[in-house]
Amino acid sequence: MKRLLFQCLMALTVVCFQLSCADEQNFDQFDDLSVTPTLASSVFYLESTEEVINTAPTGTFYSQVFTFEAFNEEFVAERLLEGVILYEVENTTSKRLDLTIEYLDENDGILATDDFSIEPLPAPLLTYQVTYGPGGRSLDVLRNTTNLRVTGQNLSDNTSVSSEAEPKVVLRAAAEFRFRLK
Amino acid sequence: MRIASIILVVLFSGTATTFAQNKELMYDFYEIPQSLMINPGVKTTQKWHAGIPVLSGFSFQAGSSGVTVNDLFANDGVDFTTKVRERLVNGMSRRDDFSTTSQIEGIFVGFRGKNRPEDYYSFGMYGETDVIVYWPRDLAILAFEGNGGDNIGRSFDLGDLSLRGEMVNVFHFGINRKVNNTLTVGARAKIYSGIFQFQSTGNKGAFTTTQGQDNIYRTTVNADLQLQTAGINGISDILDEDTSNTQQELTDLFRKRVLLGGNLGLGFDAGFTYKLSPQTTITGSILDLGFIYNSKDVRNFTLNGSASNEGITVFLPEDINDLDNDLWQNLVDEIEEAIPFEENDSGYISFRPLKLYGSIRYDYGQAESTFSRDCGCAITVTEGTNSDMYRNSVGAQLFMMKRPRGIQPALTGFYQKRLGRTLALKTTYTIDKYSFSNIGLGLNLQAGPVNFYILGDNLLGYANVPDSHYASLQFGFNIISWNDN
Repeated sequence: MKRLLFQCLMALTVVCFQLSCADEQNFDQFDDLSVTPTLASSVFYLESTEEVINTAPTGTFYSQVFTFEAFNEEFVAERLLEGVILYEVENTTSKRLDLTIEYLDENDGILATDDFSIEPLPAPLLTYQVTYGPGGRSLDVLRNTTNLRVTGQNLSDNTSVSSEAEPKVVLRAAAEFRFRLK
Repeated sequence: MRIASIILVVLFSGTATTFAQNKELMYDFYEIPQSLMINPGVKTTQKWHAGIPVLSGFSFQAGSSGVTVNDLFANDGVDFTTKVRERLVNGMSRRDDFSTTSQIEGIFVGFRGKNRPEDYYSFGMYGETDVIVYWPRDLAILAFEGNGGDNIGRSFDLGDLSLRGEMVNVFHFGINRKVNNTLTVGARAKIYSGIFQFQSTGNKGAFTTTQGQDNIYRTTVNADLQLQTAGINGISDILDEDTSNTQQELTDLFRKRVLLGGNLGLGFDAGFTYKLSPQTTITGSILDLGFIYNSKDVRNFTLNGSASNEGITVFLPEDINDLDNDLWQNLVDEIEEAIPFEENDSGYISFRPLKLYGSIRYDYGQAESTFSRDCGCAITVTEGTNSDMYRNSVGAQLFMMKRPRGIQPALTGFYQKRLGRTLALKTTYTIDKYSFSNIGLGLNLQAGPVNFYILGDNLLGYANVPDSHYASLQFGFNIISWNDN
């Protein structure tokens, strides 16, 4: 009986091996997998009324340093491949303005500066892109940034008033970064 | 973190091979005692049977309704990232799944009642592992492509995350009763001893990046996600300690949980066989109508809430006197407060995957007659008369299983051939979500009192094994004694 069972099992095994086959597989291909998503997010938004600009006694109507460690988070710093910082500046005030964003390291050293000179109303919507990575600024600027200093300067008088209903200056900033997950 | 790793390993195992739980070859193959486990009301003819411990029943099923191993890993010169993008990330839908089920029988014994020979009692113990992972399509696209570029405005469905898995040991006792010459009914009670369980089902939510109201982009998250785990924390603690006793501690933990020391549950099977005519039979069964109450070693994770953000915002003059320079951290804190990631150890109930079978069978060919023989193994066997045991059977079977995303059906046509009492063959053709070309073959060999069976599914898949969507194998050894019932 054992012999019969053994023979049956052997026969089945032989049949399976005879019938079964497989295309050549290469599991090392997994090493070639490249996963590089592009993540988009707003970063910073500044809005100021013309009244604030007029009220400021000197040219600088706003200056503030923020802790900003989004870029030097370990995940971002290690996996960032390239990126673009998108800016939009909109001015409906009667002022010629200058807006500056400075990227500061932990010792408040300036790593990079983005400066926008804005004409008074009717100024067009100003869009600006700063590329980081190949062909652009060094990614180390982003990796080492721990603070942002945002400064707004009024380059005109502080008495004129725009004809717009709610005159204001708006600075928008967003980022689109490509990361390597694998 | 360790829990996540363990679950990932289990999930990866599940993705390597996908399984369904349909045992269409075994169903109503009443020459095999294990068919009682799929229909407690199956026709029984033996006086008693005893499965050879650990070898009486082993089943392993795997399937993938989406990609196959060959789709991704064939040495075809196509860029691997392109294959993953086209065939996996964009090629699979949220209804595609990877699943796996394996079962190993520890003990299975049955005997006919002395005072009530129409009753056949059976009891035993088996272990089962079942994992199903639905393809998280939107989350995969988010990971592969990100939310930027062309995906601005796209809503990623967080509800695509759906998975479930468990390992249980089952103690069971069943009664099969031949009510009359046309009807046989049966029922089986089960006690489940959970070894581990995890589930993340019924998730809802979305992640969306759109044009902002104030800023350039607005990111919105609505999340109602939950992962429930039981029994995994204890395993991960032992693995974390990583001492020289790790293997022993794991063995002790598994032994304890296998022997009713884990989370316990109750279940119920029922089935019938009814002869519409001498040659036409219908059968049906319901399996694993039960639950486990997970109260020990529970660790649940939730992510619940909603938040939108457009980055750091400064409005002047409102914020002119706000000298707090920690705006980024404040933003992160606000989001974490709005969508808290929390843990709890609340007990929960997990339902077993409910299964339903039904079949219609037509028997034909010359009926078997009484005969005796000496099997040559020092045991003289007298086999019983069974005037309605025909040589051939054809029929159809329906299988349905409750899965996290609804009922998973399968339809089978079969032909069965009996060559005396010694050999029975069954071949099936099954269509389900995994395959439209699933041809299976089962063999039952009765050599004296020794019974051996082997059942294999999707034989056409053997033409190129890595390209197969489904694989299934069951085999086992039993000792069977026959009587005249």
